Amino acid sequence: MTGDARGWHMALVPDSLINPRDRTGAGRPDVLSVLENSGYGVLQLPPPGEHGPLLAVIADQVAEYAHHGYAVVAIGVRGEPSGGLHWRRLAPLLRHRGVALPPRYLVRSDAEGEEERIARFLSGYDLPVEEQRRWRV
Amino acid sequence: MAQDGPRKVALIANCLLNQNAKVCEGARYRGVVSPVVEALRSRGYLLQQLPCPELAFAGARRWWAVYEQYDTPAYRAHCRRLAQAVAPLIEQYLRRGDELILIGLDGSPSTGVRFTSSKPEWGGRPNRPNDDWEIVPRRGVWIEELEAELKRRGLPPVPATGWALDMGRFDEAGSRRDLEAFLDSREVGAGSHADDPAP
Repeated sequence: MTGDARGWHMALVPDSLINPRDRTGAGRPDVLSVLENSGYGVLQLPPPGEHGPLLAVIADQVAEYAHHGYAVVAIGVRGEPSGGLHWRRLAPLLRHRGVALPPRYLVRSDAEGEEERIARFLSGYDLPVEEQRRWRV
Repeated sequence: MAQDGPRKVALIANCLLNQNAKVCEGARYRGVVSPVVEALRSRGYLLQQLPCPELAFAGARRWWAVYEQYDTPAYRAHCRRLAQAVAPLIEQYLRRGDELILIGLDGSPSTGVRFTSSKPEWGGRPNRPNDDWEIVPRRGVWIEELEAELKRRGLPPVPATGWALDMGRFDEAGSRRDLEAFLDSREVGAGSHADDPAP
């Protein structure tokens, strides 16, 4: 794609990591900045609650990406139900659409060096080379 | 920010957090559109990403298009389904007294706020960059349907502007000045703004 800057990588991210209650808390990883610096796009999950139709819309989008050469991961929160990712609802929606479940990383909000670990996880993931060659032209 | 008080929430076009959603040859950033996120976060806005209607309808490999090509009953029905999926979340914000704004993508046939792209006679094989289209002061199809759904629910209009990514020639500095002026005008006259009209 001439002149196109897309990074071909994206992450499913809980609302609580996009909009943390206290972004300045000591040691709390700024996940959005890590994703930004790693060249990842974001697919934001809704806050806790019943969001069935919206999760189905998100699953449709993940399926479209997964079937066309994009690398999709999920960044959850350790200690939150389903990692904050609505995984119990989302996983069957993805399976139903023929999508392998994205690899997950669960963030520990109080662990030192967590931003570096997240960045390593993000940079270490991609699709097999033949899939990249097929789509990313 | 007080946890239980009114919050500032920005509804943002899907591709402002994920440029992979853009039409082929339309991505200007790897993933996150940093200047938009920075302008919003530095002013204390929470971010709420909207679904991308084009991606889920025409797919990741779609051609670029103008307003008239997406102005079809099937696409509008699809946009209404998406609007109905996200509207309960928007309604929750409004009912708890949060201050909402909407940041779309100016020039986009779907997500344009102040401007969309137009060429009624467009069709057939795209021929970029020789194809020519007009930028007209009008909402995109998705924003029209989203606003109609919020109105159906009796919700007030959400003040809106657009990041001018799809205006033909992208001017990042100008887009940033525009966005910051919009955000800062909200700060000065908080609570007294009507919906930003299309010029």
